[in-house]
Amino acid sequence: MIGELIVYEMRRSVARKKVVSLILITVVFEVGIYVALSQVRSPRIEELISPIQPILWLVGVLLPQSLLLHFITISISSGSMSEEYEQGTVDFFLTKAITRLKFGIGKLLGGFILVSLIYILMVILAITFSSLLFGSQEYLNFLPGLILTVLFSSLTFFSIAFMVGELVRRSSLAFLISSSVLIGSILVGAVLVFVARLTGDDLYNVIAIALPSWGATELPFLYAGGIPNASLIVQALEIFPAVPGTQIDAVILTIGYSGIALIISFVSLLTRDIPKRIA
Amino acid sequence: MEGVEVIELKKSYGRRKALAGISLRAKPGKVTVILGPNGAGKTTLIRSLMTLIFPDSGQVRILGRDPFRHKEVFNRVGYVQELPNLPPFMSGRELLEFSARIKGVPREEVDHVLELVDMRENANRKIAKYSKGMTQRIALAEALLGEPDVLVMDEPNVGTDPVLNLRLRQELEKRKREGTSILISTHELEEVKRLGDEVYFLFNGKLFFKGTVEELVLRFLGVRVVVETCDRESLLGVLKRLDYVMEVKESGNRFLIRLSSDKREEFLRELVLNEVRVRGFFLDQSLEEAYEAAVREAVRA
Repeated sequence: MIGELIVYEMRRSVARKKVVSLILITVVFEVGIYVALSQVRSPRIEELISPIQPILWLVGVLLPQSLLLHFITISISSGSMSEEYEQGTVDFFLTKAITRLKFGIGKLLGGFILVSLIYILMVILAITFSSLLFGSQEYLNFLPGLILTVLFSSLTFFSIAFMVGELVRRSSLAFLISSSVLIGSILVGAVLVFVARLTGDDLYNVIAIALPSWGATELPFLYAGGIPNASLIVQALEIFPAVPGTQIDAVILTIGYSGIALIISFVSLLTRDIPKRIA
Repeated sequence: MEGVEVIELKKSYGRRKALAGISLRAKPGKVTVILGPNGAGKTTLIRSLMTLIFPDSGQVRILGRDPFRHKEVFNRVGYVQELPNLPPFMSGRELLEFSARIKGVPREEVDHVLELVDMRENANRKIAKYSKGMTQRIALAEALLGEPDVLVMDEPNVGTDPVLNLRLRQELEKRKREGTSILISTHELEEVKRLGDEVYFLFNGKLFFKGTVEELVLRFLGVRVVVETCDRESLLGVLKRLDYVMEVKESGNRFLIRLSSDKREEFLRELVLNEVRVRGFFLDQSLEEAYEAAVREAVRA
C-alpha cells in the first residue's frame, strides 16, 4: 500500500506546474553552465579551466545543491500535505484502509524519491555534458558518495517544508515560509560569519553552523573537498566557505533538524482533525 | 450488532458543541437518513464516523469494530464525500483502479461500476476536465466498488441529474435488499421519502427526533388526509359534527383535512356511514412541510 502512495505522490508532484518549472530551470542551468564554459574561451578562462577540466563534472553535481535543489525540494515537500488539505483529496485516502501514519510515510517517501530522481537526472546531465564538452572525466569514484551526501543534506529542508505544509495546511504559505527559512538562514549565516571575522569571536561561527542552512548546504562541499584539485570549484559554489565546520557537524545537524521536523509533522498528522476542504 | 453504531458522540469546537452526545444506528438492510438544517452536525457526525475528525468522547463502531483502531474495516465501506474532491491529475478509471487495488477488489469490477454510473466513455479523461456531475458519478462509482457492507453518503445527490438519481435509487434499493447498511445525510427530501427507513433529525448537535419518515410527518405535521369528492355538502356536514377535525382546506374537489390525532379509520368509517361519495382518500405526507415544522419546533425548543 505504501508503494501505491509513493507512486501517487510522485505523479501528483510532477503534475504541478511549479515543480515542473523549477526542474526545467535547473536543467537549463545545468546544461547552460557547460555550454557557457565551452563557448567562452578567453585566455584567462582557459588558464583557470585547464587544471580542473577532468573534474568539471563536479560543477554540475554541486551546482544544483547550492540553492536550486533546495527550492525544488521545498516546492515538492511543502505541497505534499498542504495541497491534499487544500484540494480536499486527503478525505479520499483517509477514508480508506490507509492509516494516517502510512499515508504520511507514503507521501514523504514519494516526495523524497522524486527529489532523488530529479537530482540523479541532473547528475547524468552533468556527467554527459562535461564528458562531451571537456573530454574524459576523472575521480568519478567520488560520485556515489557525493550523490548520497547531497541527497542526505537535502533532507533538512525537505523535512522542514513537509512539517510547515502539514502545520499550516496552505501550500503557498508553506512554500513561502520554508523558502524564507532557507534564504533567511543563509543570509543570517553570512552575516554571522562576517561578524565572526570582524570580531574574531568564534561564537558567531558556531551559531552560523547551527543554522539549518549550513548543514543542508555544506555537507557535499565538505565531502567534495577530498577530491584532488576540487578546491576551486568548491570555493566557487559553496555558500559558507569561511565556516570551519566538519562533516560530522553537518551530519548531526541534518539529522537533528530533519528528525525534529518529521516528529512534529507526524504528531500533527496523527492527532489533528481533517477539516473540510479549506480552499 | 453489525452495520454502523454511534454511541454518545461528542465533539466541540471551542465553546460550540458540534455534537452533543449523539447516538445512532444504521442497521443492515436499512436506509438510515440523517436530516437537519445546515450546522446541525450532520457532516461532523459523518466525518467522525469516517475517522477524519476525532470525537471528544463517545464511540463509533462500523461492522462491530472501532474504525479508529481497525482501519481495515474501510475495505468494506463505501463513502461519498459532500462535494467529492478527487485527485485532479488522475483519470476516472485510474482513480477507480487505484481504489480497487487498495480495497483488494478485482480490476474487472471497475468496468461494472463505471457502467453503473454511465461513465465508461469518459473514464479515461482527467478528473480535472470533468464537470461537477461527472465527478460525482465517479465518486459514487468509487463508493459502490467492491460491494461494500456499509455505504456512507454525505449529500450524494448534489450535482446529479434525474437519470443518475433514478439509477442511484435503484442501486441503493438493490444493495438494501442484499443487506447493506446505508447511512445518508441529505437535504433531498424526495429521496428520503422514497428510500428512508429510519430518520435521525439533528439540530444544533443534538438528536431532536428519531423515527420513520411517517412518524416524522405525524409528529411535526399531525395527521392530514386528503378527501376527493364531488359530494361537497355531505362531506362538510360530516366534518362539522366531528370534534377531532381541526382544519379544513378546500381546493376544487379536494379537501385537505387535519385531524387532532391519528383517527383515520374512524374518520373514513364516518364518511362511509354518512354515504359521502368518496373518490379518493389518502394520507397527506408532505415531508417538506414536516421538515419545516420540525425546524421551527427545534428552534423554539
